[in-house]
Amino acid sequence: MAPKPFFLLSFFLLFLLLPISSLPSRLNLWPQPTSISWSTPAAIPLSPYFSIQPHFSSHIYLHRAITRYTRLILSERHRPIIPPVVNLSNSSLSSLHLSISDLSAPLQPGVDESYSLYISTSGSTLTAATPWGAMRGLETFSQLVWGHQPVVPIGLRIFDKPLFTHRGLLLDTSRNFYSVRSIFRTIRAMSYNKMNVFHWHITDSQSFPIVLPSEPELAAKGSYGSGMSYSTRDVKRIIQYGLSHGVRVVPEIDMPGHTASWAEAYPEIVTCANRFWAPTGKPALAAEPGAGELNPLHAKTYQVVQNVLHDLSTLFLDQYLHAGADEVNTACWETDPAVTHFISAGGTHDQILEKFINLTHPYITDTLNRTVVYWEDVLLGPYVKVRPATLPTESTILQTWNNRAKNTKRIVQAGYQVIVSSSDFYYLDCGHGGWVGNDSRYDVQEAESSDELFNDPGGNGGSWCAPYKSWQRVYNYDILYNLTEEEAKRVLGGEVALWSEQADETVLDAKLWPRTSAAAEVLWSGNRDSDGIKRYAEATDRLNEWRYRMVRRGIQAEPIQPLWCVLNPGMCNLEQ
Amino acid sequence: MIPSMTSSFPMAPKPFFLLFLLLPIPSLPSTLNLWPQPTSISWSTPAAIPLSPYFSIQPHFSSHIYLHRAITRYTRLILSERHRPIIPPVVNLSNSSLSSLHLSISDLSAPLQPGVDESYSLYISTSGATLTAATPWGAMRGLETFSQLVWGHQPVVPIGLRIFDKPLFTHRGLLLDTSRNFYSVRSIFRTIRAMSYNKMNVFHWHITDSQSFPIVLPSEPELAAKGSYGSGMSYSTRDVKRIIQYGLSRGVRVVPEIDMPGHTASWAEAYPEIVTCANRFWAPTGKPALAAEPGAGELNPLHAKTYQVVQNVLHDLSTLFLDQYLHAGADEVNTACWETDPAVTHFISAGGTHDQILEKFINLTHPYITDTLNRTVVYWEDVLLGPYVKVRPTTLPTESTILQTWNNRAKNTKRIVQAGYQVIVSSSDFYYLDCGHGGWVGNDSRYDVQEAEPSDELFNDPGGNGGSWCAPYKSWQRVYNYDILYNLTEEEAKRVLGGEVALWSEQADETVLDAKLWPRTSAAAEVLWSGNRDSDGIKRYAEATDRLNEWRYRMVRRGIQAEPIQPLWCVLNPGMCNLEQ
Repeated sequence: MAPKPFFLLSFFLLFLLLPISSLPSRLNLWPQPTSISWSTPAAIPLSPYFSIQPHFSSHIYLHRAITRYTRLILSERHRPIIPPVVNLSNSSLSSLHLSISDLSAPLQPGVDESYSLYISTSGSTLTAATPWGAMRGLETFSQLVWGHQPVVPIGLRIFDKPLFTHRGLLLDTSRNFYSVRSIFRTIRAMSYNKMNVFHWHITDSQSFPIVLPSEPELAAKGSYGSGMSYSTRDVKRIIQYGLSHGVRVVPEIDMPGHTASWAEAYPEIVTCANRFWAPTGKPALAAEPGAGELNPLHAKTYQVVQNVLHDLSTLFLDQYLHAGADEVNTACWETDPAVTHFISAGGTHDQILEKFINLTHPYITDTLNRTVVYWEDVLLGPYVKVRPATLPTESTILQTWNNRAKNTKRIVQAGYQVIVSSSDFYYLDCGHGGWVGNDSRYDVQEAESSDELFNDPGGNGGSWCAPYKSWQRVYNYDILYNLTEEEAKRVLGGEVALWSEQADETVLDAKLWPRTSAAAEVLWSGNRDSDGIKRYAEATDRLNEWRYRMVRRGIQAEPIQPLWCVLNPGMCNLEQ
Repeated sequence: MIPSMTSSFPMAPKPFFLLFLLLPIPSLPSTLNLWPQPTSISWSTPAAIPLSPYFSIQPHFSSHIYLHRAITRYTRLILSERHRPIIPPVVNLSNSSLSSLHLSISDLSAPLQPGVDESYSLYISTSGATLTAATPWGAMRGLETFSQLVWGHQPVVPIGLRIFDKPLFTHRGLLLDTSRNFYSVRSIFRTIRAMSYNKMNVFHWHITDSQSFPIVLPSEPELAAKGSYGSGMSYSTRDVKRIIQYGLSRGVRVVPEIDMPGHTASWAEAYPEIVTCANRFWAPTGKPALAAEPGAGELNPLHAKTYQVVQNVLHDLSTLFLDQYLHAGADEVNTACWETDPAVTHFISAGGTHDQILEKFINLTHPYITDTLNRTVVYWEDVLLGPYVKVRPTTLPTESTILQTWNNRAKNTKRIVQAGYQVIVSSSDFYYLDCGHGGWVGNDSRYDVQEAEPSDELFNDPGGNGGSWCAPYKSWQRVYNYDILYNLTEEEAKRVLGGEVALWSEQADETVLDAKLWPRTSAAAEVLWSGNRDSDGIKRYAEATDRLNEWRYRMVRRGIQAEPIQPLWCVLNPGMCNLEQ
């Protein structure tokens, strides 16, 4: 029988009253798959009894994903802002057949996430090497479905795999607290965007919110209080939630810097705790308010640190364990007599840091059998660093945040694998003013002189990393910039970061989405079209549609344009 | 953790604090966290009294529907909020209880209008509590203050407390742009509710613009039918009435703005003949831009039908909205857009000027608003100050025209008041809440820069605006420190009605509304109510930080998703997050 034209007119008219120019039909997927072909604009209704087969009941995480996606596919009733114009098949699609070659593959660094998807009138097939690749394919299938009477495109072939194995998001739960519920929502949104690493920056100087079985006092005294800490059960639920969504949970306990919160339980192992962070006329004791660092010259430090690391390795399953090591402040250490004695006896700050690394790194790698991730500072300084020999390249990954491509290159040239989190592109908290108190710099009524810009155009308004990193900025970052092919192989991927001095769960979604989606696409399939041209213009329209879809899925992502721009394609461009 | 509590009462006092915090808190003098800070407050000794479970506000003023609703609402809030301060006041607790707040109002009939008396005084002692106000609207301000004084799982209020309070400025507003993106009625309700918590009194509703025309007007239903974003994204007459009623119940005026003759591309969906340059690309290559941003189109003052539609719109607006003010826009009129129309080019080539065209429009609309509709017109300052097109001051009678300034900070404020106009201050350098959030136009290659930028081409790098024309972001500190009377004489200052923060919505809709508005709007609310200086005349931003932290958490508990301004650690460690010791 001849297919009848199906314009989804009912929606179209109900939703939009502005005239829309006729457009070529296109599918809005995010992230864009590596390879997609859709021969003719045709679609098939989903049967009300649509199911994903088999159920893989033996694989609890995959099974949960199948159940979840079945429900989403049948209940979402997605309304595209500009609906594809398609011919509608008069048959219906009753199932998606799932085929997985290695069901036992664990969710770990480098796991195969590729999949292929084929949908025709005679059926649909999703093939993946692993359950985790299957989850990526299920997400793609769910994004292909639209309409009050759900339909999916037919004549469609997708082959898809990520460019980078590490596609992450860092959330800082120390400066301000986030509920387990908001972390669930974030992991859920990550899975919508095919991201696979939730980098949990659990502790910092401001609070110690994780309850550790061997060191319960750290949270009991160092968290923000009752209802603002993560129990062992909370942690397990978060990890399980991640597994069901194909998202690894990589824990970070930042040390030896950024540890003032440890002093609530163990004042003796923390230097400069409870001191004002920026004493008048002296070097600052920390990069921001909340000064305090573990004392590498105190024996008890290692007892506590080992307990913490041990508990961490017991609680968290991931191969990676992030141990911080950023922004170590020598002035804070020097408030301790043992340190000043060591220095005056000819010792160096680098030696003190090396002592700390030497007494913790092997424990993590050899005893706990984990790969250590550190911030680049441990190797690159600027004020204190260790010799490369201290950090075996085979068991150490470095995460870069300064100097963009330059530091990435330095790190990979030194032989390390690297995770890219350039603050110039990937720091989602930037450009939001400052937060330190009693700051007179905002109290300026007149125009500022050009060499003292603060509030005026050209000033940073109080934010050290202004301007704001828009989705366009995130999207256009080439994390392999200026690397040789060999060097590029050591780039595992990237992570956007939300530092939480000015954020908590009230603003979480808006801070993350859709800017994190921008990174998610670039890390999955890049930021260029098949001709190698940057595709930010095309991505704008697709991201608009995706943002509205995320909102309907319960993620309070912010709008990137007036709706008028979505309805009038091209009319909001910078140039004609 | 908390020092000994003593009581002058015969029965042993119970220690009263909240098990909220586990971090040790240094002992602090008891402070009451009110926002905005009242003009005058005295609290002799740190003592408080429990509220009776049967606490009530008397009388109920059942005859005054708006006040009655406020009394009902605050009674419920006071008894159910169970507010937990982050740093609870340390107080002696009275062993009696407070059973009522007595309300006394001298002029119950005073309407909610510009300049209405909002003063109140509040006295709370063991023997009772009294709130006295000249008008129902002042009473609502006092009820809000009373509600903020209550804290605890077993609610208590301070005693020995006297507050006298009145606003510095009569116009304390918030502008919301519902045209670039749509906001639900529910989210507007929430915003008005939050405004009342902050004693703000004007919701400036920038209803229409070039991108959409979301209000359904009885005489011109086609404007919304064709110009809104679609079904479910327009405001019906019933919606508008509900919003106005909601405002009245909270002492918040609703001032409507229909922006014209510029910013009117959306009108062209229904009436293409009265709109110039509609549907044209906003920034044609090698030619002057047709609009300040995508979405070009302006009413044609030389077309007779323009006035027919405009009069219908204005008439409907005056029927729907009760407020004395009617905002008619008049910002950013673009002459290149007009010049796409043959009648305009003919007029210009015959020796006419753009200023004359604008004057024609103003002359044919301003008197209609003031004389026929009996409203005071508010315009953006552009109508008088240009820069590209403007009218002569004689076109704008000072007694019926208010100008709203947004450029050049104090300079334009001064120019406007010196010209004899009353002014509402919305400096984009201080009060524009959308600034510093990157850009939104499409296909923009400027973000695609991997290397460091040269110092004369900063865009993404520090010093660049990242795509936002009014970067950097206006933090609460920046909002708070703005002196809207800066550099004015005492006489000039009298013509400053107040200020409005503004949320333009190119990059906002209701998903992010609360975070964009709060607590930055709270900063403006305090400054416009009681200023930004302490009793010694010193800027009080340091003290305000702690108070605003507490207030932000309280707003969150009241359902307003205000953003945090600091790590919680800073609130728990007062002074430790300051810039300098």
